[in-house]
Amino acid sequence: MSDRRLWRWAVAPLLLAACSPAHVMNPAAPSPTWADFVAAWPLFKEAVLAGSIAGAVLGFLGVFILVRRMVFVTATLTQASGLGVALAFYVDIHLGLGLPPIAGALLTALGASVLASLPYERLHLSRESALATLWLLCSGGAIIVGSRIAQEAHDIAGILFGSAVLVSPEDLTMVAGVGALGLILGFLGHEILVFSGFDADAARVQGVPVRIFESGLLALVTLEVAVATRAIGALPVFAFSVLPAVAALLVAPGMRWAFPIAGLFGGLSGLGGYMCAFFFDLPVGATQTAVACLLVVAMVPVRLLLRR
Amino acid sequence: MIGRNGSGKTTLFRTMLGLLPPVTGEIQRKPGVQIGYVRQRLAFDDIYPVTAHEVVEMGAMRKAWSFLPWGQDSKSVRAALEEVGAAHLERREFRTLSEGQKQRVLLARMIVGRPNLALLDEPTAAMDAVAEHEAMSLLDQIRRHHNMAMIVVSHHLPVAKKWAERVLFVDSESRLVLLGTPDEVFGHEGFKARYAAAVEEGLV
Repeated sequence: MSDRRLWRWAVAPLLLAACSPAHVMNPAAPSPTWADFVAAWPLFKEAVLAGSIAGAVLGFLGVFILVRRMVFVTATLTQASGLGVALAFYVDIHLGLGLPPIAGALLTALGASVLASLPYERLHLSRESALATLWLLCSGGAIIVGSRIAQEAHDIAGILFGSAVLVSPEDLTMVAGVGALGLILGFLGHEILVFSGFDADAARVQGVPVRIFESGLLALVTLEVAVATRAIGALPVFAFSVLPAVAALLVAPGMRWAFPIAGLFGGLSGLGGYMCAFFFDLPVGATQTAVACLLVVAMVPVRLLLRR
Repeated sequence: MIGRNGSGKTTLFRTMLGLLPPVTGEIQRKPGVQIGYVRQRLAFDDIYPVTAHEVVEMGAMRKAWSFLPWGQDSKSVRAALEEVGAAHLERREFRTLSEGQKQRVLLARMIVGRPNLALLDEPTAAMDAVAEHEAMSLLDQIRRHHNMAMIVVSHHLPVAKKWAERVLFVDSESRLVLLGTPDEVFGHEGFKARYAAAVEEGLV
């Protein structure tokens, strides 16, 4: 058994049992307190940090995803990453190949991003229908492959539905490293990416290598989505890629402010979602998604006030 | 540049901009020619919450690395907005502006790039007569002030007749291309044959 799997399946459950609030073990017990959260921090810190970092980075990149109308592409990438993780478990268990889940997620996400970029208009096929086919293929594939892996069924469910409570230190390192890369490149290139999306022809006339920047953005999103999906699951990754940016675009005074605001909202969704899940004994990924949704709802009246 | 729908204006225009490769022949550019491009303002996606200032800033992204957040020159952006009478719109979202205001902001974006050749795609589309006159007057003023050549695509023949020094008429159906003064082009038999109704009604 590898260190990571030993941690996930042997050490983590023991820590969980030792540190979990009493009401998780016994529903009649009182709700957890702030002191319980602090006491459980050594166990949960990787998951809290991974959710917050992934939320912040995907929130930042989500502004590009939203304004360039790439939402369905991101949905497909998250499902493809889930399929990749399931396939990695499958080939490890049944074929003994020892493919790391993160490599599986990256390979399938990369394959999906290449397929998503094909010129479907030549077949008179809308991009939406091609992406829907891909999304369904990946979603169905992940469930089918997952049903053949009894040993890792809980982990597969965690990846697909974002209910993973624990994140390994290795996964956190990957999320943080790729996240830092995403933020740095996104910050340096955000002006030109906005320009090439807002007016691609004018950007080309001015000598901007639009195709290179667009491919770079897709590669960055693919990398970030694959790594984050492996760590925290498909549902919150998709939520972080869309909802914080929606909330930010409602209230940002101009494009420039939309990026930091979306990053902040994403980080808050990851952190706040995890804390709500802890205190109210809710599934983590779904709660992070719900918090991000609440932020969008809360920003609607702010937008209406700002417009007056 | 005038011509009827499907006459090849857009294809020629995009080829001149370098966005399409020439089918035959070649596009020759004098060294040092800087091209400014103003696309139809109706074609922008309203999802972008870009301010007028941010739109104008895009025009300066010509030099290497000028797109970096610390490489921008806010002073020249404000000067360009002032020149087109749109300084008060600087912090407004582009998508919330009127058609005439959007046109002014796009012209400021063109100015800030300091081109010596500007190509404009139907700058007065969907404007009433007064707004059209104001827009063309502003264009003429910019052209003179910056010593800039302008190529304007227009469907509106009176605009070409009043403001153009030279008119390029293209018609892919009859394979006719005319280049000359407005009087020369509008008086040509080939042009009259394609614009019979307009000529009869005295539009040109």
